[in-house]
Amino acid sequence: MSGAPAWLDEFQAMFGAALRTPLGSGSGTFRASPSSYPEAIRRVALPAGPVSADERLAVYNRQYWFRLFGVLQSAFPLTARLVGHFRFNELASDFVTRHPPRSWNIDDVPDGFDAFLEGTVPETGVALPRSTDTVEREAFLEAARIDAAWRRVFSAPPVAPFRPTAQDAARLVDSHLVRSEAVALFSEHRPLVELRRKLGEIPGEKPIPLPPRLPVPASWALVRKPAGIGQLPLEPQEARLFELLAAETVGRALSLLEAECPESQRAALPARAQAWLGRSVELGFWTGLSASRPAS
Amino acid sequence: MPPSFPRDALGLGLRIPHYEHLFEHWPAVDYFEIISENFLGAALPPKRNLERVRSRYPIVLHGVGLNLMGQAPLDERYLDSICRLADHVDAPFVTDHLCWTGAHGVSHHDLLPAPYTNDLIAFAAERAGAVQHRLGRPFGLENLSSYVEFEQSTMTEWEFYSGVVRESGCSYMLDVNNIYVSSQNHRFDPAEYLAAIDFERVLQVHIAGHTREPNGTIVDTHDKPVADAVWALYRTAWKLGGPFPTLLEWDDHIPPMPEVIAELERARSVRA
Repeated sequence: MSGAPAWLDEFQAMFGAALRTPLGSGSGTFRASPSSYPEAIRRVALPAGPVSADERLAVYNRQYWFRLFGVLQSAFPLTARLVGHFRFNELASDFVTRHPPRSWNIDDVPDGFDAFLEGTVPETGVALPRSTDTVEREAFLEAARIDAAWRRVFSAPPVAPFRPTAQDAARLVDSHLVRSEAVALFSEHRPLVELRRKLGEIPGEKPIPLPPRLPVPASWALVRKPAGIGQLPLEPQEARLFELLAAETVGRALSLLEAECPESQRAALPARAQAWLGRSVELGFWTGLSASRPAS
Repeated sequence: MPPSFPRDALGLGLRIPHYEHLFEHWPAVDYFEIISENFLGAALPPKRNLERVRSRYPIVLHGVGLNLMGQAPLDERYLDSICRLADHVDAPFVTDHLCWTGAHGVSHHDLLPAPYTNDLIAFAAERAGAVQHRLGRPFGLENLSSYVEFEQSTMTEWEFYSGVVRESGCSYMLDVNNIYVSSQNHRFDPAEYLAAIDFERVLQVHIAGHTREPNGTIVDTHDKPVADAVWALYRTAWKLGGPFPTLLEWDDHIPPMPEVIAELERARSVRA
């Protein structure tokens, strides 16, 4: 295969730099600044009629950013609405500037956005635009983790669920359960899962109020089903069991759970634990057994 | 379902908001076009939906990520995935755009123009021909809507487009809305563009809606019904080279499926 024409490399470097130029947000809307584009591309772009070459390049500059803002908003809908789309887009702009898209797959663009927020949102939280209000850092990051969990479950590759045989039952106690990538477990300190479910009923782009803290954290499992993603509330001990199972064999996890269990509940625990495990198998939480601890 | 459809077929771009209606009513549409990249990932739900659609309708592939005119070599893994998908759905043909989308390791997720030059025709044609060979089925190149032109160009867009199609042995995936959009943005006569097309080599024609911005630039937004001026251009194309398969794209502010089908059906009266 022949190589590209010699000029193409430089042309695409210049044009690419122009369209990746961050949009300014200081005026309260996102605006292109063509004077920041590389001179080399401004010189060769042609005007047409009343529309200048800079304005024509700016169409591509805006398209690049607003397309990626839209992708990140779709991937992190709860996170976006907690701070409103304008503030969210500023965060998205910082993220994309530092992590420009590398893949043909636009759905990969949001990968790592939750980790980026962990590393960049200050202790004081996220300041809302044209307001003295802030969104508390921990609540904002919790929302980002919940959105990220949804993405992971949706995008997980298809895998056959674990259906234990008699042989499996014999070695279950000394084995690790391998969790399916199509399942996510997490806890929340505010009713964010419920808020996320209701986002469709709250149209608009403005920030929505953060709900008050729950008296005790709530635990959830997200499970991919044929018709979509199911959200399953977990009892505290059930959530603890699954947490232990991430590191321990089934037998050891059950022993530790029993040791942590209040005396008054201990007699009922074995039957309840069996029910939790049975339901998790039924729902496809696991893909098999492993003699060693599975990689997380 | 046989993968072929008549030469005058009317097809729709498959979009998620239409799944519910589609799976309940299975409306009379000759074929569907999928955005290839939406079905290449590992996620299960798109694959399940695709299986249901392909059990009833022929499917053609339309890509946005080939990066045919990018300075870097073509992405072999991406091409493998497209070939597998085309084989899986037994696509009568595959299309992508005559453009570049990324360079120097960055993907811009946009369909970007370049100067129209002879050396770029040679480069694009060689790569397009190789893609078609690898696919083992017809490969069509779509003309862009563009918002800027460059002083290095030594020919018109239609001369460039026809040059690449001719030299590559590939086909046109002719978007008449894009011709109209570019003709308004760059002040050329769209009829002259159509007159340069060898309709024997047209795999499919796209129609779509667009938006005029306050400064007069027309942007290819696919968020409205087809404009009257684009229907008029479509009629001219049909007179010049019909029949050809016609596909309606609607990607934003998507109305219910019956409305989109009604818009597609307008093609019959326009070309009558």
